[in-house]
Amino acid sequence: MMDAFKIFFDYVGVFFIIYMIGYASFLFLSVTVGSSTLYQVKRRNQLKNELLGKYYVPVTIIVPAYNEEVTIQSSILSLLALEYPLYEIIVVDDGSSDATSQILREAFHMQQVNCPIQRKIPCQPEEAIFETHEFKVPITLIRKKNGGKADSLNMGINAAKYPYFICMDADSVLQYNSLEKIVRPVLEEGDVVAVGGAVRPCNGAEIQNGRVVSYHMPNKILPCMQVLEYDRSFLAARILFDKFNGSLIISGAFGLFKKSVVIDAGGYDPTTMGEDMELVVKLHVFCREHGVPYRIRYATDAVCWTQAPEKLKDLCKQRQRWHIGLFQTMKRHRRMLANPKYGLVGLVAYLYFLIYELLSPYIELFGLITVVLAFMVDLINVPFMVLFS
Amino acid sequence: MRIEIMIYIYGAVCLSMIGFNILYNLLLKRREPRLERRRRKIKRQVKAQLDAIRDGKSVDPKHLRYLRNSLRRLNNLIAFDRVLKPLCEGTYDDAAAKYFLQIQPVILYLAVLYDHRNTMQAAYFSFFLSRYMAKRQRPIDSIQEILLGYVKKENLYCCVNALQALCAFGSAEHIIKALKIQDQSKVFVHEKILTESLLSFSGNHDGLIRRLWENIDSYSEHTQLAILNYIRFQSDGYQEEMFAVMQDTKKGKELRLAAIRYFGRYFYAPALEPLLAFALDKDLSNWEYATVSVSSLARYPGGRVVDALKEALHSSNWYIRRSASISLEAHGENYGSLTDVIVGNDRYAREMMTYRLESQRLQKAGGES
Repeated sequence: MMDAFKIFFDYVGVFFIIYMIGYASFLFLSVTVGSSTLYQVKRRNQLKNELLGKYYVPVTIIVPAYNEEVTIQSSILSLLALEYPLYEIIVVDDGSSDATSQILREAFHMQQVNCPIQRKIPCQPEEAIFETHEFKVPITLIRKKNGGKADSLNMGINAAKYPYFICMDADSVLQYNSLEKIVRPVLEEGDVVAVGGAVRPCNGAEIQNGRVVSYHMPNKILPCMQVLEYDRSFLAARILFDKFNGSLIISGAFGLFKKSVVIDAGGYDPTTMGEDMELVVKLHVFCREHGVPYRIRYATDAVCWTQAPEKLKDLCKQRQRWHIGLFQTMKRHRRMLANPKYGLVGLVAYLYFLIYELLSPYIELFGLITVVLAFMVDLINVPFMVLFS
Repeated sequence: MRIEIMIYIYGAVCLSMIGFNILYNLLLKRREPRLERRRRKIKRQVKAQLDAIRDGKSVDPKHLRYLRNSLRRLNNLIAFDRVLKPLCEGTYDDAAAKYFLQIQPVILYLAVLYDHRNTMQAAYFSFFLSRYMAKRQRPIDSIQEILLGYVKKENLYCCVNALQALCAFGSAEHIIKALKIQDQSKVFVHEKILTESLLSFSGNHDGLIRRLWENIDSYSEHTQLAILNYIRFQSDGYQEEMFAVMQDTKKGKELRLAAIRYFGRYFYAPALEPLLAFALDKDLSNWEYATVSVSSLARYPGGRVVDALKEALHSSNWYIRRSASISLEAHGENYGSLTDVIVGNDRYAREMMTYRLESQRLQKAGGES
């Protein structure tokens, strides 16, 4: 019996060594690539190695809103402060039970119109459409039957006038120059179908008109940890994935997409909880299966500020939602795994998300259980374990 | 043992990265004061030369030697850029113009020097040229020849900065060459950037367009599209040529669409019949031609055009209907004259037209408030 335990723990030990070396290598590589890329970007900007002309790609900003009466007005005001001349704002009220629509209509003097919307992607029907042309850019409010965030984004895509659209959260704030920065990759490369922006927690930051007035680390531990987590992801891992066109996720808080390709791929999937990741993975699949040359880029300097949850309960809810979304996406596109047709996306990016994102909670739980088991059968050197950890 | 080696390697690289970050941050902190010191030093030198020029003297050869030696260093060039920037803002001083003219031999020397540096530095130098040297005085052919070498480099920013510097110099001959080089290069330059660069050309646009048109077939479709768009924004004198492009079925779709857009900007009577034919084409595979033609017809008066636009409003394609409603509104049609559409049986046509009229009313109200 004891021999069986020993053999079992030997295998467990080998597995965890490989697992940890894999993760450490990934972190190591991503931080190395991330920091050298950021250094290059900074140097490039210093030496005017950037597109300095006024090249503007017309962009539609889609803001899905559900019960956002507290933040919606300030969000739209911050969007109006963006330093970019060619964009429109479409707010999609997803059947809010609060006064989201009313506040918008009154604050921006919106009037009802009978705008015909082309249904290129299926979505819940609109109940009323309002417009205003009194501000820097046109603002449209579409009130529709509740259908979820993905459904609202699909409605926004259907109503968008411009060839590129940006998806964002109603409670996020775009930095004043973020539109200019996020469209740059579209001008730099001919086949860019999507660009992800950098999302940073705004807990601890004071932002006025899209500009950071002051910044310090949040006072509470939970948002503090999330700041580090976001930085690790957006300043390291995503840069590494970008190097081999392997980005599997563009945050729903800030991303730019080519409308025609998203429509051809079928738009956002309202049946999944992680519609942002699902769309990006779907774009990889669509482009590769149809032989469409494509690039999914990440713009490190296009910044969006978002509120990180400060309460454990809210954080748990958010992470649960993300994890279910991740599971649904990975399951739906499982044929990508190590499939040569998908190149490094299937081999590296998919595998990383599978092992170190989707399965990691279970692997960690399994590790903890084996530690307890090993302790019970006296197969663990406790002083060494304490020293090691 | 292998694991240990791996851990040592990881540790060494991690330590190097930490060291690099600390060093880089320290350098970054010291960089600004150092640049400021350099700027002040160069500013004193430049000011002395400007004063001398105002007294009727020339730039001191010692100053030229100083610039020649110091601007070889990139940080000095950045500091020099900071000195010149306020000098060039607002009204351009006569002494400054003479100064720029007299330091041209130094710039020529630097152009050769930076051509051999890495592409990032070369891109910065071409940016420097486009900002200060190009439009200030008579262009020097040799600098432009060197800039053509910068266009060849496989770096987007170097290519774009050099192209913009050449446009600022204003020599059509060099633009033709630069576009050919760019066209054959592996670097992708968006047609929007090409068009905007051409629009910033400081020389004679008519002359440039004439030369571009003579060479148009030697460019790829991508560059041709940028040129057609440039002509659309710059000249109304290419109707016959654009007409030929629009009618040539062997030409690419984007080129023909660009030609149709040209006739939406400039009225050309012979284009009316083909535009009407495109607009009324029932073949939905040609919907893009129909949509752009319907938009262009906004500029063409007459009952036949209005009738064609009304017919286009009944198209099963959403984009054609939308363009038709915009053009009808541009023709000054209103609820009264569009009764047949507004109370007609075609719900799609009715909705589109009603929305356009409503939206226009809101836009006018927005403009007034």
